[in-house]
Amino acid sequence: MSSSPSMLEATPTRAMRRGGDLAFYLWTAVGLVLFPFIFRLPIFNGYGGLATQILIVGIAAIGFNLLLGYAGQLSYGHAAFFGLGAYGAGLTVLKFFPQAHSFGLAVISGVFIATLAAFIIGSLVVRLYGIYFALLTVAFAQMVYFVVFQWRDLTSGDDGLQSIGTPAVNFGFTKVDLTSTLPAFPLGPFGDLSEIKLWYIMSAVIMYLVLAFVRTLVRSQFGEVLEAIRENEERSIFVGFDPRRYKLAAFVISGALCGLAGALRALYDGSAAIDTLTVEQSGAFVIYTVVGGVGTIFGPLVGTGVIMWLENIVSAKTGAWRLIEGIIFVAVIVFLPNGVIGTFIKKGKGKFDLFATLRGKK
Amino acid sequence: MTAQGLIQALLNGFILGLIYVAIAIGLTIIFGMLRLVNFSHGAFYAIGAYVGLVVTQKFGFGAGLIAGPIAVAIVAFAFDRFLLRFFYDKEPTSQILLTFGLAVIAEETLRLIFGGTTQQYPLPDWLKGSIALAGLQYPAYRIYMAIAIVAIVICVWLFISRTNYGLIVRAGVRDRTMVQLLGGNVRAASTMIFAIGAGLAGLVGVAASPIYSIDPQTGFKFLIPSFVVVVIGGLGSFWGAVAGGLIVGELSAVTTLIYPGAADVIIYVAMAAVLLVRPQGLFGESEVIKG
Amino acid sequence: MSEMILQTKGLGKRFGHFAANAEIDFAVRAGELRAVIGPNGAGKTTFFNLLSGITLPSDGTITYKGNDISMAGGPARVRLGIAKAFQTANIYSDQTVGQNVRLAALARVQGSFALQVFRRSGRLGKVDEIAERALERVELGEMMHTRAGDLSHGDKKRLDIAIALATEPEILLLDEPVAGMSIDESRRTEQLIKKLAAEMTVLIIEHDMEMIMGISDSITVLHQGKVLANGTPAEIRASKTVQDAYLGGHSESEIA
Repeated sequence: MSSSPSMLEATPTRAMRRGGDLAFYLWTAVGLVLFPFIFRLPIFNGYGGLATQILIVGIAAIGFNLLLGYAGQLSYGHAAFFGLGAYGAGLTVLKFFPQAHSFGLAVISGVFIATLAAFIIGSLVVRLYGIYFALLTVAFAQMVYFVVFQWRDLTSGDDGLQSIGTPAVNFGFTKVDLTSTLPAFPLGPFGDLSEIKLWYIMSAVIMYLVLAFVRTLVRSQFGEVLEAIRENEERSIFVGFDPRRYKLAAFVISGALCGLAGALRALYDGSAAIDTLTVEQSGAFVIYTVVGGVGTIFGPLVGTGVIMWLENIVSAKTGAWRLIEGIIFVAVIVFLPNGVIGTFIKKGKGKFDLFATLRGKK
Repeated sequence: MTAQGLIQALLNGFILGLIYVAIAIGLTIIFGMLRLVNFSHGAFYAIGAYVGLVVTQKFGFGAGLIAGPIAVAIVAFAFDRFLLRFFYDKEPTSQILLTFGLAVIAEETLRLIFGGTTQQYPLPDWLKGSIALAGLQYPAYRIYMAIAIVAIVICVWLFISRTNYGLIVRAGVRDRTMVQLLGGNVRAASTMIFAIGAGLAGLVGVAASPIYSIDPQTGFKFLIPSFVVVVIGGLGSFWGAVAGGLIVGELSAVTTLIYPGAADVIIYVAMAAVLLVRPQGLFGESEVIKG
Repeated sequence: MSEMILQTKGLGKRFGHFAANAEIDFAVRAGELRAVIGPNGAGKTTFFNLLSGITLPSDGTITYKGNDISMAGGPARVRLGIAKAFQTANIYSDQTVGQNVRLAALARVQGSFALQVFRRSGRLGKVDEIAERALERVELGEMMHTRAGDLSHGDKKRLDIAIALATEPEILLLDEPVAGMSIDESRRTEQLIKKLAAEMTVLIIEHDMEMIMGISDSITVLHQGKVLANGTPAEIRASKTVQDAYLGGHSESEIA
């Protein structure tokens, strides 16, 4: 058998790959453009603001999943990076550089602080596994919570940062106010164009870039090694890889994405709440990701969308929302071990499988 | 800070520590036997507390003390039979997720039934009052409870070290397959250990609630510190749980006295320090690091 | 006498009070095929673990090409050229056979860490080249697209060797390469080991004495964690000490 080098590649031929790339970039763009309008349909009964929030929080879930789904490590402390992103952005606007009043600077500062924290915490936790890893991430997240809570002069403690507002985005030639809306234009059952704020466009563009980045990363040389380490760490060490550095890199990128989400969240809300730093917030990322599909590109976003949307609808009608959420979560773990998205994807190669035992795989 | 204040804090820390000990022992024997990381352990505490409350209001505190743990053991038995046993040999990550989900369900069910407000436990008159101790008046109930917990800890230890079941548990910790080969019924023992560990948490839920009161989030409030306790002591180690519980209890109490704001975070600092220096915990064996 | 590529001096490993290896002085020439034998519990696997960096020694030193590598970690040793095939095939079961060797080749080409989050490894032509060569040497080229976990026991073990080969080693450690194989598979593997021995230094642990006596240049016998004897197959076969050690509780057929 004469095999050309490409025969060895784990992925299909270049031409097929190009086709897959094109489909991804095209359909993702179409999906993000149509989402707020379809979301407005009476059967979904969503609204533009919720669509924006889903995309923003979805970035954090995607970041979280990079660690759980691709590096195989469950963190219960990712709220730390989300919250630090939020406080970093808020403080940049309010205290660090109030005169600059810059959207871009606020986002960059938020991401920077979260990334720095992820590097420090990550360096300490990557050597641990399973429950020890999970608990140590909780511990560090609680320390971050404590510092932010106690540093009242800077953070206003309990009250959180208020009236951050949304600085205009400066493109150089023009300044854009994200809170302004598109022009009025009736769209029948899809609502009205003016229900869409520029915020949605901003978050959709960022989401698009994040999805493209994560997809590229997962398929890159780095992603390939990360997956190898998750599947068999010992063999990976003895072919010559250094698992800790890979896991640390994954941890830092993961934390940076959570920081990005946090920064956008603070600028969108105009406030940064202490709640962004709690264990409950960390648990929310876990729930979103597991429900959507661990180890898939779109899973965390879909999970975030499904849960936030349901929460919006159900909690208006009954106080039992959290109970329903818990039931959904457990039901997904038991019945859809690959999550909502994973269930539709047949290719189960090396997928994180929560319930292989039940199906007799093990 | 007065000397009396310090003594009071140390006593409070000891009481809190004992409660952690009792919860953590359940957690640690469940881990030791089933290799199961049980995030619903806090929920068992809360279920015990609420069932105990209802029964106490109708039939008195003594009945509550009996009903709480029994109810929890039954719930735990059902959990184990219908869900958890499929996860015994799974990676810890999926165990954490499943038991976390179950804990959320339990907490929210309690909230729906009892509402979100804090509930006070009625204590019978004979348990009220205070006792003169080391120069201060200390609530009598706490003393009784401390004695009871010490007695329970000794009973659990005797059970593990002296009975056939305990033998299976200890052997199962080392080598499940071997125990199975030798004819030990690991499965039945597993379920029993799970129910006992959970029942213990339920009992503590009833016993501790007159001191700390309860609300639906109580479960999670005790869960994380209990994990801190077992991690500090060494996951799967009985005496590790005892030492860890007392350390964490005293640490919280003394910190509350000196710098109340840091009382919650200090135990995480302690846990992080232990995990980074000695990941297997103070009393753990190094082989469990990857667990 | 050609240079010693790998040497140990006073090498020891204690687990608590139990000395799994003690005072091991060992030296192997470049290009040699050296077998390490001994009764069960003699410390063979511990010795290999010390050489490959799975465990670090309690005493003594390991020298590779004149450099002390006693405290070097696993990835560093692989990069220096010491690769290992495991006793129980240690492979990526969920990946294709091709991808298994590609990963090892990738580690050789890129090093222990590379933050290449945008580039695909397919762009590194050399990776495929090395991987293919490794697969062809163990005659698994045609199984390239098979899921590694679906291979037969013998093929899994040969894949493990191919993974080690794809790291382009100078010393190959084989821990019981034919254990559990059918006679036919053993023969193929034996031929493979002979071929490999012509190109690199091979250290092998094996219980199949017939094979060991047939292929080894020299043999080191471990007993109770220490070196009992060194010599050519003929010398070892004739050694009274070795026979006594083996016969102490072990059947005669094991050595003959």
